[in-house]
Formats: sequence, C-alpha cells, structure tokens
Amino acid sequence: MTADTSNQPQQTLALVYAALLIRLWLAVRAIQTGIEKFAGTKAATDVVSIDGQPNEYGLTAGGSVKFYSSENYHGVPEALMGKFKAEPLMLKWALPVYDMILGPLLLALGINILIGLASRTSLFLLGLLYISLTWGLILIKQDEGVSWLGVHMILIGMALALSQYNRFTVLKKW
Amino acid sequence: MNQETNTSTLNRRSFLGKSLGATSAGLVLGAPNILRASESRSDEINVAMVGFGKQGTVLFDAMKNIPGLRFQAVCDIWDYARKGGMGKIRAHQGEMPKAYTDIDEMLATEKGLDAAIVSTPDFWHSPHTVKCLDAGLNVYCEKMMSNTIDGARDMVRAMDRSGKLCQIGHQRRSNPRYRYTLDQLINGNKICGQIVNINGQWNRAVTSSQDIAFNPKLAIDPAVLTKYGFKDMHQFMNWRTYRDLSGGPISDLGAHQIDIFNWFLGVLPKSVYASGGNDFFKQREHFDNVMAIFDYDTPQGGVRAFYQVLTTTSAGGGYYESFMGSEATINISERSAYTNIYRESSAPPWDELVGRGFLKRQAAAAPAAASSDAIASYESAAPEAYALPGDISKPPHQPHLENFFEAVRGKAKLNCDARHAFESEAPIYWVNPSALSREPITFTTEHLSV
Repeated sequence: MTADTSNQPQQTLALVYAALLIRLWLAVRAIQTGIEKFAGTKAATDVVSIDGQPNEYGLTAGGSVKFYSSENYHGVPEALMGKFKAEPLMLKWALPVYDMILGPLLLALGINILIGLASRTSLFLLGLLYISLTWGLILIKQDEGVSWLGVHMILIGMALALSQYNRFTVLKKW
Repeated sequence: MNQETNTSTLNRRSFLGKSLGATSAGLVLGAPNILRASESRSDEINVAMVGFGKQGTVLFDAMKNIPGLRFQAVCDIWDYARKGGMGKIRAHQGEMPKAYTDIDEMLATEKGLDAAIVSTPDFWHSPHTVKCLDAGLNVYCEKMMSNTIDGARDMVRAMDRSGKLCQIGHQRRSNPRYRYTLDQLINGNKICGQIVNINGQWNRAVTSSQDIAFNPKLAIDPAVLTKYGFKDMHQFMNWRTYRDLSGGPISDLGAHQIDIFNWFLGVLPKSVYASGGNDFFKQREHFDNVMAIFDYDTPQGGVRAFYQVLTTTSAGGGYYESFMGSEATINISERSAYTNIYRESSAPPWDELVGRGFLKRQAAAAPAAASSDAIASYESAAPEAYALPGDISKPPHQPHLENFFEAVRGKAKLNCDARHAFESEAPIYWVNPSALSREPITFTTEHLSV
C-alpha cells in the first residue's frame, strides 16, 4: 500500500505557514513584553486652551503620557516585587538578579526567534523562562496569569514540533 | 521660613449670621482663605512628617514632585512605618531625616522646622495639629479634622491663636478639574441652570472593606499602644472602625464629597436626616452603610442632597458627586472616568461653549428607542453627554500640597484652611448622631459654629 502524496506540497506549505505564524507570535510577545519593561508615564504638559488662551487652572490635554526610558526599567513590576519578597520559598538573592535580566532576556530571545537564530534552542530557553514566571505566579496565587503562560507553553511546544518546517532563518543549527 | 498671618476671628454670633444665611454663608464658603504668609527668608521648607502610614506615604509620594522641600524629621510610633518612611525620604533626598516616636520630643528637639504634615489616625489629628501650631509650625492635616467636633474646634482656635497656616486635606478644593467646574461651568456659564438636587456616593466592595491584617513580628509593644490610645494592634491597624478613634465611613469617605456639596453650593445645610446600619460587618462599632439627606436653602431655591457610603457593594458607579440642575447635570469625581456632564434636551445649545473650548462633546446620545418595556409618553429625551476640556496631570493630592507650600512661602492663599474646613465639616459630625437617634437634626448655631 502506498501513501497518497498528491497533496503533500500543499500540506507542507500550510505547515510552513503555521510554523512561521507561531514563531512570529511568540517573537512579538516576547519582544514587546521586554520593551514594556522600560515603559513609564510622565505628567502631560499640554495645557488646554479655553477662549483661545491657556487655562489658568492647569487643566492638561491628558492626565499622563507614556514614554520609554532605561530609567523606567523594572523587570519585575513594583506591585509584585513586594509580594514575591514576602514569599518564604522565594530565593531573596535571586530576585534582584531576575529583576535585572528578565527584560533583556525577553528581548534577546524574542529577537532570536524572530530572525531565526538558533530557533529551537531559543524556543526552549523561552519555555524555561515562562516556567520560571509561572512558578512565581503560582506562589502569589495569580491563577489567571498561570493560565495565560500555559497557553504560551502550548504555542512553544507547537513551534518546536513544527521546527522541521521552520524557514527564513539566520542560523538553522540548534 | 518665617511668616505671620492675618487671621480674622469669628465669634459664634457672627458665625451664625454667616453660616445659616444663604448669601453670607456663600461668601464664607466660597471665599478663599484670608490667611496669607508673609515673605520667607529662604525658599527651602523644612518639613516634619507626623505619621507615615498608608496616607502619609500617599502624601509623601505627591510631595516628592514639589521642589524646595527638605524632610527633616519623621514621627511615628510604629517602627515599621517610621523606618520605611525614613528609607523613602533618604532615597528621595539623599539625607536621612531624624526619627521620633513621640511628637513632644520631636517638637522640643528639632530646630528650624517650618511645616508639619499630619497623617495620623483621626483621633490624633487635633492634638497633633494643635501641638504643631502652638510650636510655631504651619500644618497640613489630613481630613477629617478630628473624630469629634470639639477636636475640630480646637484646631481652628489653635490656628487663630498661633497665627500659623493650617490647611486641611480636602484635596479636591485644589483640584483643577473641581475648581474649573465651579468657577467656569456652574458659576461662570451657569450651565446647570438651577441646581435642585445633589446626589453623591462612595460605593466600595466588601473585599476592599475588610479588616487590615498585620504581621505579628512587626507588632508594636503593648505598652506603647496603650500610651497612644490603642487597646491592641488590631485596633491600631483598624482604627477607622472604632467610634472613639474615628467618625467611620461617613467621615472617612463621605467627608471629601459632602465638603464638595457645601463648597459648590456656597451655603451650609439647614438639616440632616440619616440612616445607617451594621448590615454586614456586624461586629464593627461604626455603621458599614450610611445614607443621609441634607436640606439647603440657596439664593436660587431649595436643594436636597443625598449621600450614601456603602462598604459592602462596589456597583453603582463608584464614587462621584452629581449636581443636578434644571438644564444640566454635572457628575464629577476625583476619577476622570466617573466625570460626565449631561445637557437637558430643553436647555440652550452648548455649541458655542464647545467651540470656545469650555466643554468637549462626547459621543452623541442614542435616540430613545421604541421599546415594549417602557411607557413612551413618560420617557424624557436622552441628555447629550459632554466632558471637561482637560484633566489633572498630577497625583490628586499634589495641587493641594502645592497650594499649602506656596502659602507657607507667602505666594498663595490656602484653599482650605481650618476655619473653612470646619464650616464644611461641621454638618458631617451630625450624620452619625442622626442615624443613631433615627431623628432629623435641624442645625443651630451650636451645631455648626466654632
């Protein structure tokens, strides 16, 4: 008995597209999350004009405006840092290190996955990173976040399973 | 810093004439403080933080944005709060402040203090403020002025006696959005027409109203707690729920908003009728839910103001004050998201106001649809929705603190000095008594005067 291979090129193209879309999604997710670690807000300064004159009350066009700067960097959001510090199982020395490297690590892995630089190893490392985030969220009972990260892990698994269809890569090895 | 004040004194008789007469009371409530500091020797203001708990931290975070402040001392009986506050100050200014547990020791030891920020539990507001004023400091004290009206009276007298500035933390009085709404929309362009009703509320969920827990390892020595009026650590953490230590939710949450009723109307209420109950938090000394109706006589006519504070339900629009007039309703809140302005369909068009920038038009109101679940002839046309032309770009307490420090420098008048705050707060002290007695209270001189 011989397999019917008449539609194999179409199947391959679909799997290539699937691999590419998942890869792009995971890359965008990681890169933008890394960039957002540098986001902050500052007071809006555009004073609203009334009757053609700047108002004397100090009303501004918006409450605050978002901007990016290395000075804003927080790997672990301040709101969660206190909760993590209070957890007895959390390694206190590791928290500042994790806080320092999380943003750059997300950016580096996201860019690697985007350009196809050692895609499988990068996906594996991103999976490990998400497992570490999951562990932290389990500690502070953020079940919703754990669920979202679970979805990310499924996508990483799918991307790895489809790695033979991964195209447009800078370095296919690893 | 060096300043003197030009304080006018009001005796009980003259106060009655001003507070219960609509026109004159309007002047009293609407007028800015007559206190003004004189020229300063230096632009830098030396500040003492009296109480550095949750609210003290909120105020400090706002003050970090104000230049020219040096935080010289921190006084708090709780090691955890005091050390935490000192760390925040050191991180901000690079210099560690002096630490004190006892305010008398701080005032006797520290030289050169210009101002004190009092954010201790309500029952300590008055003693702490009076001590600081008598020691020659200008004071910014959190609202409610005191847990008792007599405590609040003491603060006004101390301000008058000392000649120092005393700002009370009704921060909405310095909020650009509130000041603009009163000056330009209600008084200037009179968009509400005749204000006939006010509705205000602060609805908070059960989950946000739970007792505050504490780490036993951080507990204060029982002898220290006793010395400062707390029977135990639970009471220290949850003083807002005890009758001897606070005014409860109507004072804790309602005072901010009922102050706006009185400020915007420019008169004091004639009476209050309130109801309250321990409906959910049955072990608490204070009511967990309170509803109150104030009656006003204004130059335009009578106004009824309903206010509710719920600590068991968050639904219903959060927290806002709604000024409901014959031509428009202004829903205003410290949160921009809760602020909306509605033009009655019968009111004159606002196109010119929008064109000149006084208001922003929101999405057009949906036309009333034919519906089988309503009797069409009873329906009013849907009002058009508008918004304020701008927002506040600072933490909500910052403008009020800026106003205080500018007054200390002699460059501004206080927006809410102790006397004006007292006039506005006095009716609030009678809400709980009305609810307890289940009787309306008609205000007299004794109820409302210093």
